[in-house]
Amino acid sequence: MLSVFKSIPTHMDYKGQKLAEQIFQGIILVSAVIGFIYGLFIQQFGWTVYIMLAGFTVSCFLTLPPWPMYRKNPLKWQPAVPEASGENRDKPQENQKKKKHK
Amino acid sequence: MNTVLSRANSLFAFSLSVMAALTFGCFITTAFKDRSIPVDIHVSKIMIKNVDDFTGPRERSDLGFVTFDISANLQPIFDWNVKELFLYLTAEYSTKSNALNQVVLWDKIVLRGDNTKLNLKDVKSKYFFFDDGNGLRANKNITLTLSWNVVPNAGILPLVMGSGHKSLAFPETYETSKSY
Repeated sequence: MLSVFKSIPTHMDYKGQKLAEQIFQGIILVSAVIGFIYGLFIQQFGWTVYIMLAGFTVSCFLTLPPWPMYRKNPLKWQPAVPEASGENRDKPQENQKKKKHK
Repeated sequence: MNTVLSRANSLFAFSLSVMAALTFGCFITTAFKDRSIPVDIHVSKIMIKNVDDFTGPRERSDLGFVTFDISANLQPIFDWNVKELFLYLTAEYSTKSNALNQVVLWDKIVLRGDNTKLNLKDVKSKYFFFDDGNGLRANKNITLTLSWNVVPNAGILPLVMGSGHKSLAFPETYETSKSY
């Protein structure tokens, strides 16, 4: 069963990870400030916790799945070097060199 | 932060740290508050008996019976950092053998959300008012005070004494009747 979950792609590129971290930190801090002020106003700490949990849920939804906005700067990999026939000739020569050193 | 689990871990740990900071903020806003309120205590019936005290070292000890009324408004004490109050009525006096005696006669738990206007009439004591010896008879000055222990959501648990007390004197003779 685990193989099904492992095959779903969940990666983000580096700039996307930074964006995701900024987003969830901002949402949690904003909901913390709102929750603290509201709880202090109505004198019930339970509401502070509820507002924090709402902020947590919103940031879970926004940052856990790999949305396309986090994949806008993919890494530029080097193009693959094609295998030429010259390399095949080098290999038997290397084997001979190794034998001599023994 | 490349996998869902890594992002979830980071998000959850950050939320917990922020939650801890909010709880500290809740504590700081109520840490230096004065939690004392005026309390009114009346006593309607006082009686004393001299009975066998099986828990003490001597043959007979004084047992006092006090019936009292308490009225207080506890609403100002409850703020967002108070979970419940533990109220207790203490009788304080001095005798020849002990300089200070304190006996808890009655207690009550008041939860957040319960009725905060305390208006109790003709309450009998919950716990026995035994003296360590025979010092209650003809004792002129016994002081009844109501105190409470504030149980917070976050922070210290202070013991606060209400302002207002009642002094009473016990009679000179013992009751000999069987019923209370």
